[in-house]
Amino acid sequence: MKGFDQSVSVSLAADIAWVPLVQSVVEKWAPVCGLDDSKTMMLTVAAEEIVVHLARMAPGTQVRFRLEPGGWHVRVEFSFKADASDLWAMNLVTKTDTQEEIDHLGLLVASRAVDGFTLGVEGDTLHLGLRKDRAYPIVIPETIQPVEARGELTIVRDPEPELIKVACVKALGLYPSDAVPRSFFTPGKVVDMVGQKDLDIAVAIDRSGALAGMICWQAPSEQGISFSGPYVFAKAGQAGDLLAKHLINTVARTRAMGLFSELATTSLPTADFESLGHLDQIQRDGKKSEQGVWYRHLREDMGASVWAHRAYAEFLETAYQRQVLMRDLKLIEGQGEHLPERSVFSVQLRPDAGKATLFPMVTGGDAAECIARYVEMLHREKFSNIFIRIDLAHGWQAAMGKAIMDNGFVPKLVLPYGGKSDILVFQHA
Amino acid sequence: MHKFDYTQLVPSYIQAFEAYYPSKPDPELMRLYGVDHLHRLNNNENALGPPPEVAQVVEGFTPMAVPVYPNGDCFDLRQSLAERFGKDPEQFLVGNGSCEVIASVIKAFCEKGDNIITADKTFAVYEWVAEFSGFEARLIPLKDNGFDPQAMLDAMDRHTKILFVCNPNNPTGTYWDRSTMTGFLDAVDNRAVVVIDEAYCEYVENDDFPDGMALVEQYPNVVTFRTFSKMYALASLRIGYLCANPEMVGVIRRTHIVYSVNTLAQRAAAAALTNDGSFIRATRKMVREAKALLCPLFDELELTHVCGQGNYLMVKVPVSDTLMYRKLMTQGIMVRTMTGFRFPNWIRISLVQQPIMEAFCRVFRPVIEEIQGR
Repeated sequence: MKGFDQSVSVSLAADIAWVPLVQSVVEKWAPVCGLDDSKTMMLTVAAEEIVVHLARMAPGTQVRFRLEPGGWHVRVEFSFKADASDLWAMNLVTKTDTQEEIDHLGLLVASRAVDGFTLGVEGDTLHLGLRKDRAYPIVIPETIQPVEARGELTIVRDPEPELIKVACVKALGLYPSDAVPRSFFTPGKVVDMVGQKDLDIAVAIDRSGALAGMICWQAPSEQGISFSGPYVFAKAGQAGDLLAKHLINTVARTRAMGLFSELATTSLPTADFESLGHLDQIQRDGKKSEQGVWYRHLREDMGASVWAHRAYAEFLETAYQRQVLMRDLKLIEGQGEHLPERSVFSVQLRPDAGKATLFPMVTGGDAAECIARYVEMLHREKFSNIFIRIDLAHGWQAAMGKAIMDNGFVPKLVLPYGGKSDILVFQHA
Repeated sequence: MHKFDYTQLVPSYIQAFEAYYPSKPDPELMRLYGVDHLHRLNNNENALGPPPEVAQVVEGFTPMAVPVYPNGDCFDLRQSLAERFGKDPEQFLVGNGSCEVIASVIKAFCEKGDNIITADKTFAVYEWVAEFSGFEARLIPLKDNGFDPQAMLDAMDRHTKILFVCNPNNPTGTYWDRSTMTGFLDAVDNRAVVVIDEAYCEYVENDDFPDGMALVEQYPNVVTFRTFSKMYALASLRIGYLCANPEMVGVIRRTHIVYSVNTLAQRAAAAALTNDGSFIRATRKMVREAKALLCPLFDELELTHVCGQGNYLMVKVPVSDTLMYRKLMTQGIMVRTMTGFRFPNWIRISLVQQPIMEAFCRVFRPVIEEIQGR
């Protein structure tokens, strides 16, 4: 069935009467796309809760939902007309103290039942996407030592699945777990992500065919490519240099404007990149370290305009000056306009590294309070490395500066073209 | 009514293709980078301006010529070209820059499943036009910064329709001498069309440089490209041409857009051909002087550089080329970054008049010394 469009679309009115149909479609379809029983059940619950919520809050509203297979995950997207702020209960920190909060409990259940959600606004239509990942066996890494490379190293551009899996395990065996993408613990998932073109991998081999290194990259936005690595498995040779140059040449003629590191290793030839600064890392044992972030512009920069709040405008000016990036800062001034009452954030969690990253989906009048609740919850759950990323293409995200900084976050660095425009990364101090 | 979903209509090879965005106009770039001047050393333009004969044509171009369509197939210019090169006017096809004739040749000879062969680090338009037309572009790595004839021959198969040879190559300035070129054409043995792009041929002074115009007479499968944008400094008018045997031109003509070359461009190009050669000699002198200024500087700074034929050279910088671009732009110097040419960390510099080259040196040296920590 590969190659065929296996997506399913359903259009219905927000009415409790349709809930069994929604349940049935998800239950029957998700296993075909590879979800096991348990994950199918959770996705079904999430979809059901969304429809029930809409049936209560906006009865009769037209709802379109589309189920899309993604290889290593499945995705359900709901499109409907509503105020984005009404989805505040998608926040993981939603409480259930008041009747209103209890009435919205279904959304909290939905957000907890899936592995990620996105919220897009197109005019008065909302697109709520729920992602549920397939289950994969988890490998337990064993520490290994680098070996001598034999002969000249070459790049394997499209490594076969077995090579990818071995490379993941080797990276886990040679590098600390927080220095490699979490997906490496599930090599089968990495293979499927590559097959789905959601991730690219190149490996280096020596003359005998033994693995000498790997690098992986993906496109978090149309203009930006993030990479992790290079992971070097051989003692001698220039695997890091070779892999980094291969990456640059591969992405040089794509639509990307910038290439930046997500998890850079010490094998990265930093002369080919620009330092954007570093993020602090507090490890599980309390030790502190720094994660350097490296960047390479892929084209001649033609400048851009970004939104900025006074709270961090000076930081931006300094960062852009250091990076010799021409930006017109458009300062945001609140003019007493109406804001949505509630905010919505999605969260990316990496428990093994104690890392959590918040992404604003809706900015409401309660932004500061909402962020405070997230910080409190994340600290309680032992997340020591908390970040917020805002896209400076969007005035409504840039406007959150004060609410973010009043909660103890400091601006750490700018990822040029990391989103629709530049991404400003805040870290909780 | 259904919502219009244009993505369903876009062929996969277009979806995978990334549009090229040229740089912004000078005033906008100057505003962005906070400079009051901008020396464009990025497009290999001839900074001397066009020959004096062209200036007369431009100055004499009246508003009353504007409402009238240009001659649809550049009749007069083709007569001038035929006279200049001792050929039949039917051997020439003129386009809105060489880019247009590249597209015409590919459209004329390629169909689904076909491929073209060229180098990986050369003028990108051969590759782009092939790819956005749905044809495979086989890119052969350069060997010692030059086209690799044997590797190109090895890459040929029965679906190979065109081999593009940029001679001299942009951006490395290397070229195939007469013997290499004829050896290659003999080995191709009329199995495919060979395009010899001589955009920069007027800059080459070496005796062993092969003349594409002569090869057209010897080899029926050769198509030679030339342009008025580089040596003759008519870049803003967009005019280039191809020359081949009349039968080949007759086929390419079928895919070629008529009326695409404006009247002023046609007249200016014809005027440029009447220059007695003094303009070319002056330009070559300017380029020689620029090379004599820049190469020693790069040697002194211990920077690897490639200085071949053409009005440009390349230098490898100790940082990313795109960062170097931005640093130079803040000083009013615009160069070409080479990451997109698959030469990461190299920049290409157009060679122009001495005062501007000296200005470049004054800006370039401290930037490099700062990076090198000197």
